Amino acid sequence: MNPHDWFVEHRVAFVVRSLEPAEEKSFQQHLPVCPGCREETTRLARELAWLPMGAEPTNPRPGFKRRLIEQVLYARRRRWQWVVPALAAAGVLLAFAVVAQERGRASRLLAEKAALQNQLDATRDTLVIIRNANRVLQADIRMDGHDGGITIFADEHTHRWNVVVHGLPAAQSNQVYQFWFICANGMVRGAQLHLDESRPAFLTLGMPAEGGAVMGAALTLEPMDGASSQPQGKQLAHLML
Amino acid sequence: MHRYRVPDHAPRPLPDSSAPARVGHGLTAERQSSLYRRLAARDEQALVELVDLATPWLLGVAQGMLSDQDEAEEVVQEAFTIVWNRIDLLDEQAGGLLPWLLRITRNRAIDRLRARRRRRQKAQRLEAYRALGEPWTGPREPDESAQPGWHVHEMVHSALKQLPEEQLAPVRLAYFEGYTQSEIAERLGIPLGTVKTRLRLGFDKLRAALAPIKDWVL
Repeated sequence: MNPHDWFVEHRVAFVVRSLEPAEEKSFQQHLPVCPGCREETTRLARELAWLPMGAEPTNPRPGFKRRLIEQVLYARRRRWQWVVPALAAAGVLLAFAVVAQERGRASRLLAEKAALQNQLDATRDTLVIIRNANRVLQADIRMDGHDGGITIFADEHTHRWNVVVHGLPAAQSNQVYQFWFICANGMVRGAQLHLDESRPAFLTLGMPAEGGAVMGAALTLEPMDGASSQPQGKQLAHLML
Repeated sequence: MHRYRVPDHAPRPLPDSSAPARVGHGLTAERQSSLYRRLAARDEQALVELVDLATPWLLGVAQGMLSDQDEAEEVVQEAFTIVWNRIDLLDEQAGGLLPWLLRITRNRAIDRLRARRRRRQKAQRLEAYRALGEPWTGPREPDESAQPGWHVHEMVHSALKQLPEEQLAPVRLAYFEGYTQSEIAERLGIPLGTVKTRLRLGFDKLRAALAPIKDWVL
């Protein structure tokens, strides 16, 4: 008995599905490669096609046929029916998401616009001071091989100064550039400057509330943690009105 | 005891295969071909007609195997759903529309039996019913002779009736109750080889007896 004889012997059992599940699987895998068994099982299936009619017919329960037809006919439609509301819901969610995204985008644009407006206002203000300045003080500064300088545009109508420092290297990590007002009663701290040789630094300063009349200005290089009311570091510029 | 109705009267003569095939009352080959074409054309009325015609037979197959009316109805619904949605799968080589429906139903019922491991519970139920001496199958068709397809049913019964009991019992268990060969051997208390031999002989006789109707359509 060769291996194929087993398939020949069990063709009917395969057709009527009385093989064990593992045998049935083995037979199914055999069919695609065996035209003879394929043809024979097809023939057997056709010959036994009406055999199930040997079972007694059973009266369907009342309403079963109607339910059956509805289920068969409308199951697919129902599957699509929920798709429409689901798509609508998805559309609404998408719309909300788009609105939310647009709102976020609008907020960001408004913030950017406000920031740009502030920069524009500051620039305008700077230009107003420079244009209306009735005193201009300037000093050259030579420091560690760098040629820089400081220019002060003083607007005596608004009592504001526009200070421009350029050409100086960045301070070392333990130092800071300090601008001072020279007042009638002594030196008053103005503002610290963080310089970068690549571009000038602009400062707009109002007159100090204490120290008396402003008589001039100075730029020093102070220790980073210096808190003295008087300059301690190297003086870089000294200008008098 | 037997789950199959064996007609008391003599079976009607088999029809001449060259004559227009009639599966039952009013079921001509032309009408059956028409049903198939209308189903392929998505004619809902054709489905209604097919349900009317086939449901009692399909329920009989499924309920006979599953012994569960709810499950049988589910299986029948699955079969009609396949036919309605995939009428293009109908293999003319393996028979017509109704044999296809019957085969789908039977296969689905077997799949359920095997997948859900209900056979043991079913046997226990069966034993319990038998112990009570009560019938264990569902209600039967009261007007059987008016049932379309009844003539085929009678022919199949006639073929089954011709089998000796030693072949009929394994055929019945294999085909109408979904048992495998080894399960049949266990249930009947006979060697597996004997079961295989009796099944082969039994189905050979059935094939010969059913040969005149194998090419019927529907």
